Amino acid sequence: MSGQVIDLKKKPVSGAVLVAGAGIAGMQSALDLADAGFFVYLVEKNISIGGIMAQLDKTFPTNDCSTCMISPKLIEVASNPNIKIISRGSITSLEGEPGDFTVRVTKEPRFIDEDRCTGCGECIKVCPVEVPADFNLGLNQRKAIYRHFPQAVPSAFAIDKLGESPCKNACPAGISVQGYVALIAQGRYAEALRLIRQDNPLPAVCGRVCTHPCEAACARGEVDEPIAIRELKRFVADWEVNSGQMDLPTCKPPRPEKIAIIGAGPAGLAAAYYLALEGFAVTIFEALPKAGGMLRVGIPDYRLPPEVLDYEIEYIQKLGVEIRLNTPVGGNLGLEQLKREGYSAVFLAVGAHKGLRLGVPGEALPGVRSGVEFLRQAALGTAECPGEKVCVIGGGNVAVDAARTALRLGSREVTILYRRTREEMPAYEEEIEEALEEGVRIEYLAAPARFVDQGGRLGGVEIIKMELGEPDASGRRRPVPMPGSEEVLAVDGALSAIGQEPDLDFLEPKSDLEVAPRARVIADPLTRQTSLPWVFSGGDAVTGPASAIEAIAAGKAAAESIRRLIEGQDLAAGRQKERPLAVADKEGVTKQPRQRARRRDPEQRKGDFGEVVQAFDEPAAQAEAARCLACGICSECYQCLGACQAQAINHDLEPSELTLKVGAVVMAPGFKPFEARLKGEYGYGRYPNVLTSLEFERVLSASGPFGGHVQRPGDGTEPKRVAWIQCVGSRDASQGRDYCSYVCCMYASKQAIIAQEHLPGLNATIFYMDIRAQGKGFDRYYERARDEHGVRYVRSMPSRLLEDPATGDLIIQYYDQDNKLVEERFDLVVLSVGLTPSPGARELSQAMGVDTDRFGFAQRSDLNPLLTNREGVFACGVFQAPRDIPDTVMQASGAAAQAGEILAPVRGSEVTVKEFPPERDIAGQETKTGVFICHCGINIGGVVNVPRAVDYAGGLPGVTHAQDFLFTCSTDSQEKMAAVIKEQGLNRVVVASCSPRTHEKLFQDALRRASLNPYLFEMANIRDQCSWVHQGDHDAATDKALDLIRMSVARAGLLEPLRQFPMPVEQTALVIGGGIAGLTAALSLGEQGFTTHLVERAEFLGGLARRIPSTLEGFDVQAHLDRLIDQVTHHGHITVHTSSEVKEIKGLVGNFVATIKRPDKTITLKHGAAIVATGAQEYQPTEYLFGADPRVLTQLSLNQALHQNPAWLEGVHEVVMIQCVGSREPEHSYCSRICCSAAVANAIKIKEARPETEVTILFRDIRTFSLKELYYQKARDLGVRFVRFDAANPPQVNAGPDGLEVMVYDQILGQWLGMVADRLVLSAATRPNDDAHVLASRLKLPLDADGFFMEAHLKLRPVDFTSAGFFMAGTAHGPKFLEEVISQAKAAAARAATVLSKAEMLVGGEVAVVDAERCVACLTCVRTCPYGVPQLNAEGVVYIDPAACQGCGNCASACPRKLIQVQHHKDAQIVAKATAL
Amino acid sequence: MKTKQEAARRVSYYPGCSLEATARDYAESIEGVAQRLGIELVELADWNCCGASAAHSLDHRATINLAARNLALAMQGPQPLVVPCALCFNRLASARHELMADDSLVIDSIGRLGRDYAAVEVKELNEFFTQPEVIAQVEREATQGLGGLKAVCYYGCQGQRPPKITGKANCENPQGLDRLLAALGAEVIDWPFKTDCCGASHSVARPDLVHTLVARLYERALMQGANCIVTGCQMCQANLDMYQREIAQEMGREVYLPVFYFTELMGLALEVPQASKWLGRHLVSPRALLEESGLPRPVWERL
Repeated sequence: MSGQVIDLKKKPVSGAVLVAGAGIAGMQSALDLADAGFFVYLVEKNISIGGIMAQLDKTFPTNDCSTCMISPKLIEVASNPNIKIISRGSITSLEGEPGDFTVRVTKEPRFIDEDRCTGCGECIKVCPVEVPADFNLGLNQRKAIYRHFPQAVPSAFAIDKLGESPCKNACPAGISVQGYVALIAQGRYAEALRLIRQDNPLPAVCGRVCTHPCEAACARGEVDEPIAIRELKRFVADWEVNSGQMDLPTCKPPRPEKIAIIGAGPAGLAAAYYLALEGFAVTIFEALPKAGGMLRVGIPDYRLPPEVLDYEIEYIQKLGVEIRLNTPVGGNLGLEQLKREGYSAVFLAVGAHKGLRLGVPGEALPGVRSGVEFLRQAALGTAECPGEKVCVIGGGNVAVDAARTALRLGSREVTILYRRTREEMPAYEEEIEEALEEGVRIEYLAAPARFVDQGGRLGGVEIIKMELGEPDASGRRRPVPMPGSEEVLAVDGALSAIGQEPDLDFLEPKSDLEVAPRARVIADPLTRQTSLPWVFSGGDAVTGPASAIEAIAAGKAAAESIRRLIEGQDLAAGRQKERPLAVADKEGVTKQPRQRARRRDPEQRKGDFGEVVQAFDEPAAQAEAARCLACGICSECYQCLGACQAQAINHDLEPSELTLKVGAVVMAPGFKPFEARLKGEYGYGRYPNVLTSLEFERVLSASGPFGGHVQRPGDGTEPKRVAWIQCVGSRDASQGRDYCSYVCCMYASKQAIIAQEHLPGLNATIFYMDIRAQGKGFDRYYERARDEHGVRYVRSMPSRLLEDPATGDLIIQYYDQDNKLVEERFDLVVLSVGLTPSPGARELSQAMGVDTDRFGFAQRSDLNPLLTNREGVFACGVFQAPRDIPDTVMQASGAAAQAGEILAPVRGSEVTVKEFPPERDIAGQETKTGVFICHCGINIGGVVNVPRAVDYAGGLPGVTHAQDFLFTCSTDSQEKMAAVIKEQGLNRVVVASCSPRTHEKLFQDALRRASLNPYLFEMANIRDQCSWVHQGDHDAATDKALDLIRMSVARAGLLEPLRQFPMPVEQTALVIGGGIAGLTAALSLGEQGFTTHLVERAEFLGGLARRIPSTLEGFDVQAHLDRLIDQVTHHGHITVHTSSEVKEIKGLVGNFVATIKRPDKTITLKHGAAIVATGAQEYQPTEYLFGADPRVLTQLSLNQALHQNPAWLEGVHEVVMIQCVGSREPEHSYCSRICCSAAVANAIKIKEARPETEVTILFRDIRTFSLKELYYQKARDLGVRFVRFDAANPPQVNAGPDGLEVMVYDQILGQWLGMVADRLVLSAATRPNDDAHVLASRLKLPLDADGFFMEAHLKLRPVDFTSAGFFMAGTAHGPKFLEEVISQAKAAAARAATVLSKAEMLVGGEVAVVDAERCVACLTCVRTCPYGVPQLNAEGVVYIDPAACQGCGNCASACPRKLIQVQHHKDAQIVAKATAL
Repeated sequence: MKTKQEAARRVSYYPGCSLEATARDYAESIEGVAQRLGIELVELADWNCCGASAAHSLDHRATINLAARNLALAMQGPQPLVVPCALCFNRLASARHELMADDSLVIDSIGRLGRDYAAVEVKELNEFFTQPEVIAQVEREATQGLGGLKAVCYYGCQGQRPPKITGKANCENPQGLDRLLAALGAEVIDWPFKTDCCGASHSVARPDLVHTLVARLYERALMQGANCIVTGCQMCQANLDMYQREIAQEMGREVYLPVFYFTELMGLALEVPQASKWLGRHLVSPRALLEESGLPRPVWERL
């Protein structure tokens, strides 16, 4: 360990590691750790792993497809038994110490069981909720149930829920309002109605008379007006009535228990419905001659037509509910009697039908009547006109209903007296309005003082005016009479409607039922149980007059309690739910008034009882439903439950807390793109044709929103002129983002090239400040983009964009190279947004106790960038600082090494190895093939005729068993499959289902459990390649499936068992090179417990770093180096060989033998892996008088001079630096990466030591990438002058009498500048060692075009050689900074550990085998093999070592005599398959 | 301690010189609307020149001291200090910014008044009137919708930039007036010239320059389909209103774009009785537009 000394007296406790963040960094760390014997918890906030790399289209500088690169990695992670992916997890705390940490993780539910979900995608077809697709950055829509892309890992879908939508939350019955609104918007009315009936069996009734608390809560109301939810409910209910088809549910099988319900109102009917669904025998006892309760006799027909109520009662009766009319309970038929008659439970729902008395003189006069009673008579057809001039007392719905009914029965003048104002009136607003329209008069702040007796009849009412006083208990202001304000209103009829109460006179006097004052039944608010355990009660009988929906809710709740009572369950358990309320994002919602239901003409309607309010028509209903803001995202419509045949969905899951024990932590929370909206001048978010670069990646991607068609989002046309604007949110202090984001210059160049590939002739322009192409191969890529692809690079930062509103084109003004203001038009503009730490990084850092800098990146305090302030917690990837993928991968491996160093003593303690029974020998057996065909729910079964395929397969040659499974991959199917293989003695297995990419290993394990060699397995992909692509043609799809199965069966017959052989691994490492890279790698390996040999050619350790006093950031390199050398030379596991050279390495991964020439003797050394860390050198320039004039020196020498001799600056008035000396020139066309920063570092040192010294840096592009940009800024602030020159016009230097005369052609001024420098400092290139090629050829390792060692893959394998077992680190790989050298050295150590940690490795299997008898040693294979494996052996024939063979098959296809065969892919097997077609 | 929302009902007010003369209409509409909303504007007693126009280009120290005196006066009053003129705002805010870092420029006589510059919260009037709570109040109390107006909001430059002084996070695309007008029912049209230069006081010395700049603004406003311009800066208002006929002639096209102060439109929406009088002072009479939109017409047409 460098820089951080951990006291490991205590042995680590846990051999597990937590990796936070599962982008490419987290995945690489996890894989390296798991492969080195540690268990990994990979915690990811998102629903799938892969991070932003999964969203990229192609990658620079190879233009490889990002998905193609990352998909195998995803599968590797998913199938690694020692990596546990925790999706939707966030880390809340970290306690303990290195080796023994406790981590708490909150896992938000995905609502889909990852193990059960088969990824079939049926659920997305039925989900009605569309939201912007986050994976495509909102360029298109996705469903609320989703996965980001087909190859996603975990492959299970997930549901987004923000919480409970306000409408559902407000509904007493808890109806999924958002759900049915969403279904209505899609025209799926039957589903909508079924969803309502899950919680409310009276949709047509409630669609008319509900008090709709949902609408009051509706979030749309905060934008304009709430959704007309009640009208929508009515629309679907009426839709069913009009369709003539009653959609009846299926009841559970009948049960013996009988339930009695007293009262056929909404509560009783609802209870009856849900009890009947459960299979109970339900009888409703109703005192009145008609069922419906208050719905029937309390609500006038013009609001709720009787036939609507009849329909819904009939609906409930169809389930077998018996309604006994005219059967009051009481007297002979009391509660006890019901019990005696065998009813297991009673639901008491008698309502509140008894009108309250006013308590006013004259109330007993004929003509003064109760409003409820009047309405009841009207409903039953027995009411008469209440009078010519009628007053109604009260302000509730009953009052208004009574008034309007009186009008309809012939009253001429109707006045409502209400003691408060209209604002307090409890009747519905719309009812009041309708009443007023019909001519009802309302007198507010008025109450009856007495009724006037006129000859024994009612002659009038004396009204006293009121005023509002202090608020009363109800919160409303109490009306106070105003004495002396009395007036008489002449009336001949009065209806009192000030409230009702239940009529409980029927109860036996000695009943144990507890009753509250005001004659209300007491029942538990949750379970509705009364004091008699078998009696439940709800509705108005309990609450007093309330709403139908509350009664329905009570009935439903009571039904649930009764079921629980009978089944002996706890009545209350799990029923009280506290869910967070979802709040819709209302930003940007445009106002759109709600649809209005039409009402009949007041003049016409007040003459009859016909329905007043008309239903929505279909367009109105859909338009209204479409206004929903989808607050909860998931609408809880539960359609997915029905679609999911694997039964993987559970909407009730709740967040869970996990407590994990780990020994170390790797933080890789990654980044998010800069929020482009913050740069208002570029119009992002306002101009549709301005995209961010990540959005453009999705546009380019074949799996993106436009299927890979490059088009303008604004109008779908193909762009011809596309501009990129660089540094949006980078190098921008005004946004608090002063750093450079590293990747943008390159990805913009890449996007320009790829866009041209999509649309040939596309004109691409990149506006930039400096082109930062500092990585390996980057500069060449940039030059190719410019010179071969014609990408135009304009060095200018546009200050804003203008949109032409007519065309959507974008106009950019900029200064061209001649300093002329130019206005240019583009079709599409891409903003190259920078990288900012991911939003979760801050919370994660806090939870971890890890410090971050002012931007939110991990705070660095050591030369080793992987260390954080917390011991045992390591940072990598963009969280550490902005960087590209290879650097990220390097750091990720490096972080794995750091964790491995701590946990070496407990390596292997937590990993699991699968155990299988011994394999059955099938030699000489007749072929017995079993074919298993998968329905994949309806994915295959819905298209391919699976039973026919089973029949067909059964008749194929060699097939002795054929069967189908609904889901072959489910655990129970796997067990059945293994059992069948055993029972029937099958010796070949074919599964016809999905892709071997995801499922082959799973099925092979089933074979192994059944004692069968896994190579006796063959798979036919009849889903991805058949049923999915031929959905419209079932017959053809079936025929194709039969073909595919026949082909697989043909090949299966020729399959042979293959075995992999264990080969012992020499658990020793060899590190070549004793510079900082080699030292770091050796120390890491030693700390990880591996015997390590470090070979250094020179006499002393330290390498080039010996010449670097300190870094740009001010870290003391020499102190670090001294400590490192001390640790290495005294390490028990490390042997140092100085003045020694590796002469040869023979053998293969795991078993190398190196020949090392030491000063004393030549030794051989066995080792399992080797790291090449031989470094690089500083170019010794031949230009600019270097060597000829002592005043000319290199940056390295300057750094030393400034450090060693403080007086060096005495008399130095002017220093000029020239960049790119020996770099970025035709013969050496790479950027040396470090020189810009080295120049800036030295310039700062000079300015800080002697501010009056002028420092001028002559540059081409300043490449102070990532956080180094801050020092470039600092240098400018200190007055360092930067002058840009063009490569075609390099500076000129002459030695003059007063100093070095430097001439430079300034690009901005457009003229030559001259200066006289006391010192000229050359930023000399980093060059490979002169003899790098010698070592390369000795070790048979490849070099790249520039002479640096070449990695296996530029992007994802930056430290591996293609030859297995060889790794590289440091500047031998290319120019890099010290901290990068350290990261890479650690990475090499981690990669080597994946080899060295295993006592033995399995070799063979699917490898190439040479027929030695017939080989003529033509060496074609030797030349073909990309890994250099085939070798001529002692017998003069080619030998392919199974341990080294990668199984690629190149040799087999190249062999002119066809005598190389790749096992498992033999010619005969492939031919059999092909000829079966 | 008072909550922020309560405090905002009583604020210090620095009208600046132009609101006493050329922008009297603006001043009256501000006072009328504030009164209607129950916001008390406490004018700084004995305020002086902000330091804009001539001073800041001639003598840095003098301009700082001019502003410092106003800031010192404001320290005694309620907060924030609300400033309608964009130039005054910019001067006061700049001086405050500078003085908070180093107040050594302040002369003794002013220093005696107070030096706690951090205590003064300088707020541009349109920013104050477009706080969410004020917009909500206006929306609640407005009785006259502004339907028919297709407005582009023009914020000008001095109130916005530089953000480290003005404190405007979204200085490139301010939203306040857009939100306010939309809440009042006007059709607000997004355009990219919200903070472009109107030419400011160059209309005296270099009318050609101002005409070019203003013509560009007209062109764009018309291209986007606007029928009026709404501003919160009297300098912008003047430049856009005063020479419209001449500039239109130079452009060779018809231009009819009444230029409103946002406070005037608030007055119309809130049906402040004098509102239609304020509008009568504009050179481009909004009469035809208001008539067409069914809004109260100006009662005080110029002769």
